Amino acid sequence: MQRDEIPPGTLYLLILKTLARSGEMHGYEIANSIQRTSDDVLQVEEGSLYPALQRMLIKGWVTAKWGTTAGNRRARYYQLTPAGRKQLTLAMTQFERVIGAITRVIAAV
Amino acid sequence: MNWLRELGRRIWMLARRRQFDADLEEEMRLHLETRQQEHLQWGMQEDDARAAARRRFGSVTALREMSHMAWGWEWFEHFAQDIHYSLRMLRKSPGFAAVAGLTLALGIGANTAIFSVIDSVLLSPLPYPDPQQLVAMKQNDSLQNVIDIQRQTRTLSQGGGVNIESMDYTGGTQPIQILAAYVDAGLLETFRVPPMLGRIISPDEDVKGGPRNIVASYHFWQDFLNSDPHALGKTIPLSGSDYTVIGVMPAGFALPREHADVFVSLWVAYPEAAPYRGVHFMRTYWRLKPGVTLSQAQADLSTIDRRLAEEYPDNERDRETLVVPLQQWLTGDVRPALLVLFGAVGLVLLIACANFAGLLMARAIARQQEFVIRASLGAGRSRLIRQALTESGFLAIIGGAAGLLLAKWGTGFLVSLKPAELERFTGIHMDAHVFLFVFGISLLTGAVFGLIPAWSAARADVAESLKEGARGSTASPFSQVLRQLLVTAEFALALILLVGAGLLMKGFSRLRSVNPGFNQTNVTTMHLQLPATRYAEIPPQTGFRRQVLARLNSLPGVDAAMVTDIPLGGNYLSHSFVIDGRPPVPVGAEPETQTLSVMGDYFRVMQIPIRAGRSFTSMDHEGQPLVAVVNEEMVRKFFQHENPLGARIDWSRRAGPHQWMTIIGVAQDVKHSGLNQPVDPAVYAPFPQSDEAWRRWMTLAIRTPGASAKFIEEVKKQVWSVDSQIPVSEVHTMEDLMGVSLAQQRFNMLLLGLFAALALILAAVGIYGMMAYRVGQRMHEIGIHIALGAQRRDVLRLVLGDGAKLAFFGIAIGIAGAIVLSRVMKSLLFEVKPTDPVTFSLVTILLAIVALAACYIPARRAMRLDPMVALRYE
Repeated sequence: MQRDEIPPGTLYLLILKTLARSGEMHGYEIANSIQRTSDDVLQVEEGSLYPALQRMLIKGWVTAKWGTTAGNRRARYYQLTPAGRKQLTLAMTQFERVIGAITRVIAAV
Repeated sequence: MNWLRELGRRIWMLARRRQFDADLEEEMRLHLETRQQEHLQWGMQEDDARAAARRRFGSVTALREMSHMAWGWEWFEHFAQDIHYSLRMLRKSPGFAAVAGLTLALGIGANTAIFSVIDSVLLSPLPYPDPQQLVAMKQNDSLQNVIDIQRQTRTLSQGGGVNIESMDYTGGTQPIQILAAYVDAGLLETFRVPPMLGRIISPDEDVKGGPRNIVASYHFWQDFLNSDPHALGKTIPLSGSDYTVIGVMPAGFALPREHADVFVSLWVAYPEAAPYRGVHFMRTYWRLKPGVTLSQAQADLSTIDRRLAEEYPDNERDRETLVVPLQQWLTGDVRPALLVLFGAVGLVLLIACANFAGLLMARAIARQQEFVIRASLGAGRSRLIRQALTESGFLAIIGGAAGLLLAKWGTGFLVSLKPAELERFTGIHMDAHVFLFVFGISLLTGAVFGLIPAWSAARADVAESLKEGARGSTASPFSQVLRQLLVTAEFALALILLVGAGLLMKGFSRLRSVNPGFNQTNVTTMHLQLPATRYAEIPPQTGFRRQVLARLNSLPGVDAAMVTDIPLGGNYLSHSFVIDGRPPVPVGAEPETQTLSVMGDYFRVMQIPIRAGRSFTSMDHEGQPLVAVVNEEMVRKFFQHENPLGARIDWSRRAGPHQWMTIIGVAQDVKHSGLNQPVDPAVYAPFPQSDEAWRRWMTLAIRTPGASAKFIEEVKKQVWSVDSQIPVSEVHTMEDLMGVSLAQQRFNMLLLGLFAALALILAAVGIYGMMAYRVGQRMHEIGIHIALGAQRRDVLRLVLGDGAKLAFFGIAIGIAGAIVLSRVMKSLLFEVKPTDPVTFSLVTILLAIVALAACYIPARRAMRLDPMVALRYE
């Protein structure tokens, strides 16, 4: 099956959106969720989630707290903050604008 | 505020980075294991499952690094590592750390201290508004001339004159002599400092017969008016008259050079002197109009000078008024000394930096292999450079911290031994800017020379260097030459400083051995001033003087006399005179001589030898023929071909017929104005025969073994038993006055001596370090020499010759530099030529000995070398 690298810079958007949809998640769940929702088209190099999450922690877009998984293991659960929600809206608008523009360029034959 | 919160989170993460590391680790492990589990469930082999999980995850190490980078602290972590590593390296070579740190500490500390003093004295602004407008006139002037200048000038906005006189304050329990500034109304206006209370003297009060008003200084208001806020309108008794307080000046106000307790109008307090144009006794201060340059003002004043000279040729024929910016005029005396010290500071800083650089380079060469190995193991160039910078920067900071302490202490030390000229500058303190400046320079030195190892390691061909490194000599020719240059420069600079110090020392010892013309041991002096109200005429003055001397001389073991102005006391009175029988001299061109009145056997008390004729006796009093004793300089200048004894002189421009004084004796010359000052012609005459009633002051000279405080009280009691209203002031011993006269020279000598010693030590350390290193480098070669039969002597010659070459070049360059530079010290040297050959030779020998001694230690090590060990050493 063809798997595509995600376009650069959109990883934050994907994580933000994923968290917005499902509330609390740990890293493994986020990676799986992105894959599943994109019908396995978007392939994240899973490890790169973690530096991104660290950065988002610093930006104050997400918070993290330790919890227990269904399999009874310790895992760090990430959750969107109000600032994160605001960032998501901002990133969405920007993304839509760019995609819209690209689509128009491609469609204009 | 978002960035602030973000910074807060960053710091939080930094503080808890261990925890975050562990969290991240656990998180990633969980991820990997879960994925692996998943793969296993799909039926993969365990190893394959792990590999697949890892593949999907990416490099854990790289990701961990990236996470750290997300925090934005990786520079800090590297920095902490570098510091840690530097500390370890410095601990491994404590000798190097101590010498480098000490070099910097001395360089930074001494420089900051000296520069702070220079900064406060030469560069700090005067405490008056618009100080750049203020000027002083180099010559004193009379009130009448001041008034004319005020009227005629087109370049000066304000100005006035001041003369400091003592007045007696009799409002307290004991009569006290205070200093009064006799001023005109323009003077206080010129400084534009408003009074704290009341007002200053107005022009309509500053007239003959004006009201007796005073403006008090802050100190006078504090000490004598009890800081009374309602002091205005109070009357106080001064020299027999009542004066009304009309104003109080603020605490920070003082005249530029004069100390004054109160300010009074000259017209009111001293109406006798005010009308005389020819008596130039006022110091004058002026303010330039806005936009006027100094040369414009000078041209203006020269025009006025010419006009005054035409109008009053008798008195003002030789007017040559010189306008000087106030700041420059104030610092004039100390300026050359401070500038020389400033130069010395610069030289020592250069030496210290050269030494630091040399040390860092030696170390760099020794550690080159280490750097090359690290480079070959994959350390990036920037990482290596950062490491090197951290190490030298760390050293510079340690040195700087020690230097800060030294600077604080040093500034205090300098202030504690400052000469009288610096007394005025009370605000001298260590200057933070200066410290930062000097510190910056040493940091820069550390940066530049600390970079060399990293730089050459980054350049080096790793394989080649490692091969060569095995043989233990990797010094590049470039850095060898650079180090030799540094050591040579150090010696040159040290020689210049040593010559400067040597010249000052020689001058000082010359000065100390100057014969002052009197014997200063066991002589105490005190100043007395008679008030004009009760002692307006000569007879009561003579009566008072006779009684005081009689009472003092009746004390056991006391030999007392009096003179108007004591040598080295700072006062000087001169008159123009004529010699009987000589062709007349035009008015205004008469010769000048110092004039002194004496009573009692002054020459015996001061032990001033009489060279010819006789001294005064008790018979030389009023009603007797007028007599005078002159000094040797007077004879040299005016009686070269004539016996002075029996010749007659008188003050010129007498209103009536001449009253000739017959010269009866010649006394030895006395250094009146300072040990380093030339002697002027002088005429001594008895107090009772003087016809100048305004000489109401006198200085007691009392020879007695061991003048205790109790003795001084006894003298005061005797004076007050004659007149209880006479203040006794300025109690000194002649030895103190000699000490004051030497103080400035001693200050210069001490400071430059300290610098020279510092330079010598640093240069010695520099050449020692260099030679020790070179011997270490040449172990192998020397070992072969010895193995081939070289004697110890040959080895010694080899090593010493190596060092001597550098020292020789340094000394030669230094001598050339010193010949050029020592000329600027000319004004500081007493009877020593700036190119004094004795000083130059002694300094050269000293420096050569130090250089050889510094080279001898490594040379001895080379001599004792066991060739077997040396050859195995590699």
